[in-house]
Amino acid sequence: MLKPERMVKVSVVGSRDHFEKVSEILYDLNLIHIEDPEETEYFKLGEPFEKASGISRSLVQLRSILAYLKLDPEKYFPKRRFRVEEVVSEIDSKLEVYRTELGAKIERIRELQDRLKTLEEELRVIEPLKVLGIPPRLLKDYITIRPFVGFIRVDPSPRIREVTDKFEIFLKSYGKEYVVAVFVKIEHADDVFRILQEFGFREVAVPDIEDYDVRISEIQSEMTSIQEEIKRLESEIEEIKARESDLMLAIEEYLSMELEKSELPLRSLVSRYVFFVVGYIPERDFERFKDRVESETDGKVTVELIEEKGHHSPPTKLTNPSYVKDFEVLSTTYATPRYHEVDPTWIMSIFFPLFFGLMLGDIGYGALITAISLYLKRIFKTEGWQKLLNIGLYSGISSIFFGFLYGECFGPFVVGEGLKPSDVHWFGNALASLYAFNHGHPIFDRVESFGVKALLFITLTIGMFKLLWGFALGFRNVAVEHGLKEALLEKGCWFIGVLGLCFMILGFSYNLGIFNSPPPDGFGELLPDNLYVFGSYTVEDGRSVPLPIPGLVKGWQMGVNVFYLLALPLIIIWFILFAKAEIPKMGAMGIIMGVELLTWFGQILSFARLLAIGLASVYFAYVFNYLTLKMGFPPGMAILPVAIIILLLGHLMNLLLGILDPGLQSLRLHYVEFFTKFFEGGGILYKPFGRIKKFLE
Amino acid sequence: MAGELIASDAFIKGCAAIGAGLAVGLAGIGAGAGESGIGAAAVGAIAEDRGFLGLGLLFTVIPETIVIFGLVISFILMFAYG
Repeated sequence: MLKPERMVKVSVVGSRDHFEKVSEILYDLNLIHIEDPEETEYFKLGEPFEKASGISRSLVQLRSILAYLKLDPEKYFPKRRFRVEEVVSEIDSKLEVYRTELGAKIERIRELQDRLKTLEEELRVIEPLKVLGIPPRLLKDYITIRPFVGFIRVDPSPRIREVTDKFEIFLKSYGKEYVVAVFVKIEHADDVFRILQEFGFREVAVPDIEDYDVRISEIQSEMTSIQEEIKRLESEIEEIKARESDLMLAIEEYLSMELEKSELPLRSLVSRYVFFVVGYIPERDFERFKDRVESETDGKVTVELIEEKGHHSPPTKLTNPSYVKDFEVLSTTYATPRYHEVDPTWIMSIFFPLFFGLMLGDIGYGALITAISLYLKRIFKTEGWQKLLNIGLYSGISSIFFGFLYGECFGPFVVGEGLKPSDVHWFGNALASLYAFNHGHPIFDRVESFGVKALLFITLTIGMFKLLWGFALGFRNVAVEHGLKEALLEKGCWFIGVLGLCFMILGFSYNLGIFNSPPPDGFGELLPDNLYVFGSYTVEDGRSVPLPIPGLVKGWQMGVNVFYLLALPLIIIWFILFAKAEIPKMGAMGIIMGVELLTWFGQILSFARLLAIGLASVYFAYVFNYLTLKMGFPPGMAILPVAIIILLLGHLMNLLLGILDPGLQSLRLHYVEFFTKFFEGGGILYKPFGRIKKFLE
Repeated sequence: MAGELIASDAFIKGCAAIGAGLAVGLAGIGAGAGESGIGAAAVGAIAEDRGFLGLGLLFTVIPETIVIFGLVISFILMFAYG
């Protein structure tokens, strides 16, 4: 789970007579991740088996039909699956049928659509000419007169008059423009044409027809008959599609498989008599792989382990249980882990829903998200959607859990003092009685000031923990690839530095009274009182001291607390290690890079968003509940329907924000604050030669 | 008179509240300015390739950390003086 599956490199070598057989076996095993080879003096890349060209021709035809029918093998789910023999026995006749029936129909539809377009074009020319009201035979075929027929923006007659008086113009408005016919003597034609062009003249070719109305009705009747024919053909195709799509996709799958098999030589090296395939397989499958290949070829083909020395990069096969596997969508969006790296998916699978719930934390919204995810899971069946919706499901459940802790269901029912539950929530009293076991208080009240304080501390603690964890994982990754010393200088030093930082934050929190201030009803004390070594903290009226500077409070020891004492040596060790790592690389100026420690401080603070985003959504919900209750039940004038509309819209908006923001921020806390410490990625995903059949049995 | 006012509890509380508000508000403006550029670029990238949507949204929220800093400061102010 933590690490990608262990891989071994193998070679499959044999005589070329057995190549096709081996290709079948390897494809069936679906185990070997083939490494694309480089040609050498004696070994060249092979050429596809003979059958390949026939298969790819059929495949192209079939796929173009599938594309027309909008049948996507990725998105379509078969109602029944076919046996390979069934497909093989029918494939030739069926392909012929598809070609002649479907192909011909599709071809005919395309022809008809072309014809339709030509007719529409013609109609577009005739209609304005009809508006002009001059028969077509009078618009052309003159010897001494040049007619200009077309569209124009403005009346050009005053300008034409500047050239000649002997002209005739017919102008009718048509849409935003005019349709125009100008007749001039042929000797003025060039001048007039120039003038017309100045007014944006577009000439129209006058068609060879006798009468506009006759032609228009001809065109229209032809268009309706074409449209009817297209409709008929489409319904016929639709019928075939409904009947045949399972089989068509099964044939497509079969052909693709055959094509992949026959293209194996392109990914292997061959000499005159020998072929040579190199790739990775999971270590635990090696014996099975070797046995199967060697026994089925009577030992004519051998499988050997290849020892790898030095730097090598096998493909990464993620081995996660199904719950964690859903989260691969999120972790591999960032990067594919390299073979030697820790696969962070499982950490994400724990913390992503946890963070989501911690932020949203509302029974009502959580239940809605769960329900929506369950509903959408029945509609969107593709693998990616299913995974995403599963994540939505887990996040929803986690929100319900935290909502129960926070006592929120479409908003809080306890907000400060002086407001009764029924004042701030539509069913506040019901919620209050639900929490009767805790004196009508939520188990953890995050709206109240102590709750905010405690949650801020908790989120920062999560931040510290995750940063340290990240550096620890980084230490491990670097140690595996480059050795301990490198790991200590690159990641270990930051681990120590951040640990020092964490103790400073803890010390500051202590001074703020996080550990020993008495919580209100319903909270337990977070830590025992005796952690503080120099007696209890005695600054007047509980004001905190921001830094452990001796003398800031009475008596030097008053300002010193144990966390600060622990932080000091850690920071010193960090600084020494850091200087050792940076100075050889960057020179003395490298020390300046030490300010990066502040970045990590910022990243720890960044986890406070777990609190902040939650609070924002709580107050949104509270405001909408309070507002609409006041609108709905004021003494005198009740506008309940408006109140309910506002309530629904408000909660809808809050729900949308409540899905988007916690999701994104939770993702971001992983990508930016956590993954950057250890996760470099850039691995190659394990893609074995073979496929999992979807339409075939 | 003025000295008395400055020393008074209400004045300190009021200043802390203004400070807290400024911390969040100004940080918000800063984050918004930062996000505007990223958001525009992300939308451009999404227009080219719908698959970029997730990553684009993610990039867009990155400067939000600044608001969180402001928020933490305001919390600390409110805890200390509120």
